Amino acid sequence: MFRTFLSLRYLRARKTNWIGMAGIFVAVAALVLILSIMAGFLAEHRRTLRGNLADFVIQPRYTQSVRLPNGDLIDADHDVGAMIDLIESHPKVVSAAPQLQWYGLFVPDGAKSAMERPMQDAIQLVELIGVDVEAETGTSDFAESLTREYSPKPPDGRIYSSVERVDDAEDPFAPLERSGRRTSRPGRPIIVGEQLAYLWSLRKGQEVSIITATFDDGGSLNEDAPANSRFEIVGSFRSKDNEMDQRRVYMDRAELRDFLQDSRGWSAVIVKLEDYERDKLQVREELWTQLNEAGFLGAPGDNPNEFRTWEDFRATLLAAIENEKSLMGIMLSLVLVVAGFTVFALLSMMVTEKRRDIGILTALGATSWGVMVLFLLIGLWEAVIGSALGAAVGVLGAMKIDAIERWLSSTFGFQIFNRDIYLFDHIPSEVMPIEVAKIVLGAVVSTLIFAAIPAWRASRLDPVDALRHE
Amino acid sequence: MSSEEPLFTTPDPSEPPRVPSTSGNAGGVSSPLTSSGIRRSFEVGERRLEVLHGVDMELRPGERLALMGTSGAGKTTLLNILGLLDRPTEGKVHVEGVDAWSLSPAKRAELRNRRIGFVFQFYHLLPELTALENAILPAMILFKGSEFRRRREEFEGKAHDMLVRFGLSTRLGHRPGQLSGGEQQRVAIARALLLDPPILIADEPTGNLDRGTGEKVLEILLDEQKERDVSLLLVTHDERLAKRCERVLFMEDGLIQADSSAPMPT
Ligand SMILES: Nc1ncnc2c1ncn2[C@@H]1O[C@H](COP(=O)(O)OP(=O)(O)OP(=O)(O)O)[C@@H](O)[C@H]1O
Ligand SMILES: [Mg+2]
Repeated sequence: MFRTFLSLRYLRARKTNWIGMAGIFVAVAALVLILSIMAGFLAEHRRTLRGNLADFVIQPRYTQSVRLPNGDLIDADHDVGAMIDLIESHPKVVSAAPQLQWYGLFVPDGAKSAMERPMQDAIQLVELIGVDVEAETGTSDFAESLTREYSPKPPDGRIYSSVERVDDAEDPFAPLERSGRRTSRPGRPIIVGEQLAYLWSLRKGQEVSIITATFDDGGSLNEDAPANSRFEIVGSFRSKDNEMDQRRVYMDRAELRDFLQDSRGWSAVIVKLEDYERDKLQVREELWTQLNEAGFLGAPGDNPNEFRTWEDFRATLLAAIENEKSLMGIMLSLVLVVAGFTVFALLSMMVTEKRRDIGILTALGATSWGVMVLFLLIGLWEAVIGSALGAAVGVLGAMKIDAIERWLSSTFGFQIFNRDIYLFDHIPSEVMPIEVAKIVLGAVVSTLIFAAIPAWRASRLDPVDALRHE
Repeated sequence: MSSEEPLFTTPDPSEPPRVPSTSGNAGGVSSPLTSSGIRRSFEVGERRLEVLHGVDMELRPGERLALMGTSGAGKTTLLNILGLLDRPTEGKVHVEGVDAWSLSPAKRAELRNRRIGFVFQFYHLLPELTALENAILPAMILFKGSEFRRRREEFEGKAHDMLVRFGLSTRLGHRPGQLSGGEQQRVAIARALLLDPPILIADEPTGNLDRGTGEKVLEILLDEQKERDVSLLLVTHDERLAKRCERVLFMEDGLIQADSSAPMPT
């Protein structure tokens, strides 16, 4: 009993112990706050990186004749519908959609100017994505990207909004209505990314060229197909992923197929799951097996590029983010070590100061174990109180960080978080209870380890020695 | 002695130790405290300094035993060994017939806690605790949290009564720093007596007090000793005090030189 009683009494009576507690408080509050904001940024970053990518992207390599479950023999190359039906029959799949993907050189000012100017100024490599609007809408964020707010304008405010979003979100590829006479047939309608539009000062209704090359079924260069064509910009999208917004050009799938004179008409099937984070591994495994049995894909794992999750497309960056997060955690843990060291120093001083008390307690019948526990408890209370308060303040701060920053900005007149630089309009933060618990536990454990050394020293004191002199 | 045997005869910890009856002690009852062949030497640098050269002594039940001797004779060293705070280099200490230095540290600590009360020259109270809290400290050390909480009032009542009897009724909530030396020593006496130990060890309890104050404190100590029939071992330089004791041991150069064994008054 004396251990609990005395440890609390010493804690209360000796204000120097509060320094240790304050150290733990600050360390835990900072850790919780910073890691929550970090987590918020990273989660936001992750969403940004994803852009318009669907949960799964399936790109068959070996397609031959396929025997369907009902016994019919079909030509898989041309029957994407059968593949989509098979995928959509999986209970955890929401929908699937076909895409036709190809590459082209984007020449905004016409092919002639491209020849006259240095290449990087006049031409850009783009991904041509042919989509079926209705199926695409249910499967990826394509439709959302057509109605999304413009990203904040850069300070000089130049061209940014020179391309407006589509006229009709229901039918985004419809040719633009025009007043006045048309001199020529309108180009094939395309929707470009906002970054591309920004880069090239594109306007809605502007005619551009896209140059490409195609191959025939035998795999040799198709010299008869037109290598380039005129296109008309009918809108822009913002997927949030800047790179995607610069590289992707959306078209109607039939239009693209016609332009490429492609007999197959699709190159990928995208899939949306009910709950991607929960089911991704299981459904991928099951779908791949089923598609392989039906002959659409090679054996699972044979060719990883045949069946990819959206994360596979961003593997390097996502891994970098995770790395960054754990590195940050390790560096911030050093703060805990510093706090633990403060406790160590203060407790060591206290043991020296309290030699006589320790001798008295021993004379009255306390065991050396009891003395050790007494000093450990002092450390424990400091850790528990300091980290509990720290966690509370950290969590509260993380939840209100945006309001706090706004208040600081308006009160002191300088901006800490520039909402235009980041792609977010608020400071993101995500409080993760498990992380908070880990931090608190870490603080308590590290404090106890540091407190153990002076506590052990206290338990070794010779009572006779401690009591000899006044 | 096997460690399974009962080590000393104390009541169950859940019961407060009882005050021994005052009706004299039968010859068969073992001495509360004896020592045989106690030697103690210290390593001082390269040299070995022997302070006690084989001390044999006995504290008889209910007696007042004074220990006198010149400064540096080894009285405090002997007391620390008898009080189980310091291990002798050689020799045995028996507390109520139990060889105390062969026990485990935990058992020895319990012996110290329940069977021996200490009064020091420099009072040795804990500065962060009030007078009352200091007085109940032995019970706090003896009992676990729940048990102590259950019996807290009992011990507080006991300590309170003693402190009031010692004239400290207005001082219960004061810290040692707010008390005079005499008052502190009275709190220390109450602390030593809280668990009704059969043995009381006092090392110059008035050595740090002026004559008047010292006498008052001494009256309290001797009254309590008589009333409780506790065996008291008292180190003192005061001849007059020694005269009030039943026996006096003289110590010199680490040996008991003379034993003024007077017949025990009844
Ligand atoms: N830890 C130690 N190391 C070395 N010498 C010691 C130690 N403790 C005691 N001594 C020596 O032992 C001798 C006896 O000391 P002790 O304190 O027992 O004397 P004392 O009889 O109590 O004297 P006083 O009447 O002054 O209190 C002294 O010479 C002292 O210096
Ligand atoms: Mg002495």
